[in-house]
Amino acid sequence: MITTRKPRREKDSQMPRKKRTCRFCDAKEIYIDYKDEKRLQRFVTEQGKIIPKRITGTCAKHQRQLVQAIKRARHLALLPFVSDTIR
Amino acid sequence: MDNAQQIYESTFIINASLDDAQVEAVIARVSDAIVKNGGAVTALNKWGRKRLAYSINKKTNGFYVNVEFTAPGTALAPLERSFQLDEMILRYLTIVLNRKALASRAKAQAAAAAPPAETPQIPAREPLFKETPAEKKP
Repeated sequence: MITTRKPRREKDSQMPRKKRTCRFCDAKEIYIDYKDEKRLQRFVTEQGKIIPKRITGTCAKHQRQLVQAIKRARHLALLPFVSDTIR
Repeated sequence: MDNAQQIYESTFIINASLDDAQVEAVIARVSDAIVKNGGAVTALNKWGRKRLAYSINKKTNGFYVNVEFTAPGTALAPLERSFQLDEMILRYLTIVLNRKALASRAKAQAAAAAPPAETPQIPAREPLFKETPAEKKP
């Protein structure tokens, strides 16, 4: 499946880009717990997909931990693999 | 390395249609299995009945239990097998609590201890956070 990236709209390019920082680094978090489903929910889309780090600004180190936590949470049915709304 | 004691954490989901006595029986069975395989339960948290994010074996609710224990690595295989054979357990997940997890938990506990509002369900588990020397047997 080849998707072509849409050209950035003019409105977007005019907006000053704010530098995003890793929320986990800001909070000096050293471990991301799979049991904290409320927290993890903010890093998945409504469909239940993991949001890439280029959107959330999470650093690579924490994104790896986050992904593992989300997958563990999914295994225990704390988070959905696929959200109910699109099933 | 296999015989070194490590700190593990198991979370499992019990069929929520059982009544409380039966749920307790399942929990007792699991703790028994841990002890029998040479481990020791250090903490047991019941999260209670929760809605599952998706149905497992056509069930939409489950009783979540989280157990922390120390055990030799050889205890895991028989323990996980007992999870699998238990028909009342819908899902389980066992992970090793690494240094980072323990450190973050110690930090959280220190933060929780500062204001005297502690959750009553979680018993104090101070000795857990001392680094257990890995004992190696030939």
